[in-house]
Amino acid sequence: MFLLKVYLEFFKIGAFTFGGGQAMIPILQRELVTNLHWITTENFLHFVSIAEITPGPISVNIATFIGYSIHGVLGAIVSTAGVASPSFILILLVATAMKKLQAHPVYRAFMAGIKPVIIALLISTIYIIASRGFHNNILPYIFSIIAFIVLIKFRLNASLLLLIMGAVGIFLL
Amino acid sequence: MNKKINAFKLFGIFFYIGLFTLGGGYAMIPIMKQKLAAKNKYIGEDDFIEVLAVSQITPGPIAVNMATFIGYKELGILGSIIATLGVVLPSLIIILLLSIYFTGITGNTVMLKFFSGILTGIVAEIVYVTIDITKKIKINFFNLSILILSLVEIFIIKLNPIYVILVGGGLGILFKTKEFKNVSS
Repeated sequence: MFLLKVYLEFFKIGAFTFGGGQAMIPILQRELVTNLHWITTENFLHFVSIAEITPGPISVNIATFIGYSIHGVLGAIVSTAGVASPSFILILLVATAMKKLQAHPVYRAFMAGIKPVIIALLISTIYIIASRGFHNNILPYIFSIIAFIVLIKFRLNASLLLLIMGAVGIFLL
Repeated sequence: MNKKINAFKLFGIFFYIGLFTLGGGYAMIPIMKQKLAAKNKYIGEDDFIEVLAVSQITPGPIAVNMATFIGYKELGILGSIIATLGVVLPSLIIILLLSIYFTGITGNTVMLKFFSGILTGIVAEIVYVTIDITKKIKINFFNLSILILSLVEIFIIKLNPIYVILVGGGLGILFKTKEFKNVSS
């Protein structure tokens, strides 16, 4: 029964967070630390800091961490399933509806208006990652610029570049 | 015409995307674009941008939204399940291993340095994708105005991204519907 409660709690969090993982953090903190006392503030902040630097969606990482800390491996699976379920259900509904709407002029006009917004959001992502992840250090910026030049000069495979930069990070950062 | 994907390949691609997504949902766009929209052409450029936009305005983690969406587009409900599992499993496995074996991960500097290095590569790749997408959009008054307005909303007003998307889409409906009506009739 406790696992069901864990599932529902994370389901709720998944359903009400718009705009990705960063938006989820304050809601998680209020629910899990302040209201339910499932973990301490200190542990919570520790999890968040690790979730931000490990691979995968931040919210999924946090859910897995907290699920594990409250109920072991099973807790981790249940909390992860909980946080991903609402997206899954909603997107299925939206995708089915979109199939029917795709040719409609209003829909196409909406999408035409969104394209420039995506560019703005990508620019803000660059800013967010650099300002949060580079810790006001000049070296990562220089590495990014070098990586960019390598990328356009040699048309390197995206994940190969990441592995190379990871290795560079171990020795030089 | 776009190629059809099979279930194993779909799972593999999303597992791979989940593994290399560092720094939030948007960080996976370069790899996702390369794996799905560029080289193999499973989905078109316009479709990719639509999926991205809808994933942003729907609640939940963007990575999970995009996986479910693309999985559904490619292989129906089964595809959505496979893609979602694929994108979530690497996180689940990595975090579980960390929780079980490295309780003091903050002290594990080699791994942190590795991840910091990857982050510099991700920034370079997002810059690349941003330029790539920008090149494919017509430079006209409408697009430029929305771009500038969106930047102001994000950086100065600090509006939540969903609203930024809804404002852009709303302006699209306001000024572009007539144009698309004429095209289709």
